[in-house]
Amino acid sequence: MNKPVTNVASASADLSRTPAASNNVTDNTITPAGGKSMRDFWQWMFSPERRGAMLVAPALIMLFLMNIFPLMWSFGLSFFHYKASSIRPPRFAGFYYYEKVLTDPVVWERLQTTAQIVALSVLLQMVIGFAMALMFEKKFPFRRELLMLVLTPMMLSFVAVGVFFKLFYEPTFGILSQGYAYFFGEPLTLLATKWGAIWAIVIADAWMWSPFVMLLVLAGLVSVPDYLYEAAAVDRASWWRRFKTVTFPYVRGLLLLALLFRTIETFKIFDVVYIITAGGPGTSTETIAVYVYKVAFQFFKTSQSSALSYILLFVVIVLTNLYLYFVNRRNEEI
Amino acid sequence: MSHLIIQDLHKSFGDLRALQGVDMVVEKGEFFVLLGPSAAGKTTTLRMVCGIERADQGRVVFDGEDVTGAEVRGRDMAMVFQTFALYPHMTIFDNLAYPLRQSGMAKADVVQRVNEVAEMLRLGHTLARKPGTASGGEQQRVAIGRALVRRPSLLLLDEPLTNLDAKLRFDTRAEFKRLHRELGMTIVYATPDELEALSMGQRIALLRGGRIVQTGTPDELYTKPQDTYVAGMVGSPKVNLIPAIRRGADDAPLVEMPFGAVQNGPWADALKPFPVGSELIFGFRPHDVAPATDTGGDDGDGGGTMRIAAKVHLIEPLGDVVILDLTAGETQLKMVLPEEQAIRYSVGDDVPVNLRVENSFLFARETGTAIC
Ligand SMILES: Nc1ncnc2c1ncn2[C@@H]1O[C@H](COP(=O)(O)OP(=O)(O)OP(=O)(O)O)[C@@H](O)[C@H]1O
Ligand SMILES: [Mg+2]
Repeated sequence: MNKPVTNVASASADLSRTPAASNNVTDNTITPAGGKSMRDFWQWMFSPERRGAMLVAPALIMLFLMNIFPLMWSFGLSFFHYKASSIRPPRFAGFYYYEKVLTDPVVWERLQTTAQIVALSVLLQMVIGFAMALMFEKKFPFRRELLMLVLTPMMLSFVAVGVFFKLFYEPTFGILSQGYAYFFGEPLTLLATKWGAIWAIVIADAWMWSPFVMLLVLAGLVSVPDYLYEAAAVDRASWWRRFKTVTFPYVRGLLLLALLFRTIETFKIFDVVYIITAGGPGTSTETIAVYVYKVAFQFFKTSQSSALSYILLFVVIVLTNLYLYFVNRRNEEI
Repeated sequence: MSHLIIQDLHKSFGDLRALQGVDMVVEKGEFFVLLGPSAAGKTTTLRMVCGIERADQGRVVFDGEDVTGAEVRGRDMAMVFQTFALYPHMTIFDNLAYPLRQSGMAKADVVQRVNEVAEMLRLGHTLARKPGTASGGEQQRVAIGRALVRRPSLLLLDEPLTNLDAKLRFDTRAEFKRLHRELGMTIVYATPDELEALSMGQRIALLRGGRIVQTGTPDELYTKPQDTYVAGMVGSPKVNLIPAIRRGADDAPLVEMPFGAVQNGPWADALKPFPVGSELIFGFRPHDVAPATDTGGDDGDGGGTMRIAAKVHLIEPLGDVVILDLTAGETQLKMVLPEEQAIRYSVGDDVPVNLRVENSFLFARETGTAIC
């Protein structure tokens, strides 16, 4: 009984060694000294019990170096006097910058601007997203193709969207201004006024993210069982009542999630604003994220921008937890 | 006036021909039962009556008006769905109140009406809960209540008793009959259960494979089945069907079975044109078989009864009655006796029995259609 088993074992050992051995030969020709230890190192690294950990290690290291470490570092900096543009070593400041940020009227003004953009944009996304979902719920020719088209804005990068819209809004040759000029005789400088600029941003953002709301709402709409519509028809419910009592309960949870998710995301809006208006005219579309960027990289008030960032992070964490709470509640409902 | 007329209704789902020409007429105030086995097309028929499903062909006339292509909402009908179709996110109270709220009824009236229905269906303790937490039987009663609450002139019931326990089923059956009498609504009731059909239906349409086989009162279906299928479907325990051959002279036909021959049944005249040697099926109800008393009975040519020498093969007690499975030679047949008579017999006993020929049926074996 023993003999064949050992045979098999040695055969497989031989097999596994063969390619390694040939590697060894090539290694030897290049680095005569390191060949054997290299091979041992690779074998050690990719032995089955270590393979998984080894494969994720690079990603984890990157994550730590690029995200977690800077995060903690900046958190620390927010308690020190420090300017990234000067060589003076940091001095401890305690909560000085937090106090400064929270009492700064400019910060509150920027938060107000952000809130205006968030409110308008999210509202627009919800309305358009919902309307599109209602449309795509029905079957019609080329529905699939159209759906794919409608979803593309969501997949573009922020910068691309920003550049597109900047070109659309451009007063001399932009399509919007030219269209305006065609009807009213004079070019349109949308970005010259505060509200014009705000709407410019809101439209770009809503264009990009309405499909996201639509996807969520559509998922809710198609989850309504047909038999409920049949029952409602037999119970003689009007269209509106059917929508309110049968359709909406299935969409409500998802709509709330879309609302929270889009609020969190829009709260952080930066790229589109920075590209289209750069916060102008003046500072009238400077959102809080753009402001943080300016404080950090134009004025180099590193500590102050860190403190402000952490206050914002706190707001986002609160909103996110709210979001997760509703996600969980929805899971329980179903 | 006929309340509901269905003419030549056809419906296919892809290749599957669910309905192939259903015709029926339901009178105003009638309790009409659609009886048929699973997949016969009962649900499909009801769905087309209330307009949820569109017919491929045929007409539905309701209250003298052609509603074949009309909206569901315009019809004064309610339906109890086989799958209940309760609104899962509303309380049971709101489910029951749903059809009323549409009509703009005053709040107090809605509450009163819902409470009435809830009390009748014994749902009072569940009103504040969601349907998901109710038992199957309770859910079914909510579905029934939701249909009843509006007091429609036509009520469509799709197997509304299947999820109830025996006692509740019995009570609700009585409840339907009472409601029918008191509210005077027309009821179309689909069921695969022949007992339900016989006990409630004023008329029954027997559906099979998307076609109506026979329509008639319970009595007609029981005593004059048009084919072996109807005979087998209606009546419990099942009818005895015995292969037979036509014998005898041209004008004095005789039906020969393995255990004897009969003549002078109700089918005697109709049998005359059949050539000698035609293959037949002889049918009789287990209720028409009784143990022979020593004095009475003859061997068939006297007309009234036929004597069969049988042996007890199996005894199935059903409480107050007992089914005795008998063998007569190679042939098996069933007999029903009240319990107190049946206790006399045990398996293996010889029992001479008398068969009441006047209630027997005769069918052509090839087609299964009745000869009468
Ligand atoms: N929407 C549908 N799509 C495809 N086939 C269907 C559909 N609805 C019904 N059928 C088919 O039509 C036939 C009749 O179905 P129906 O539901 O009317 O039967 P039923 O008499 O109500 O049976 P049961 O007693 O089991 O409820 C069945 O073979 C069924 O599979
Ligand atoms: Mg059915």
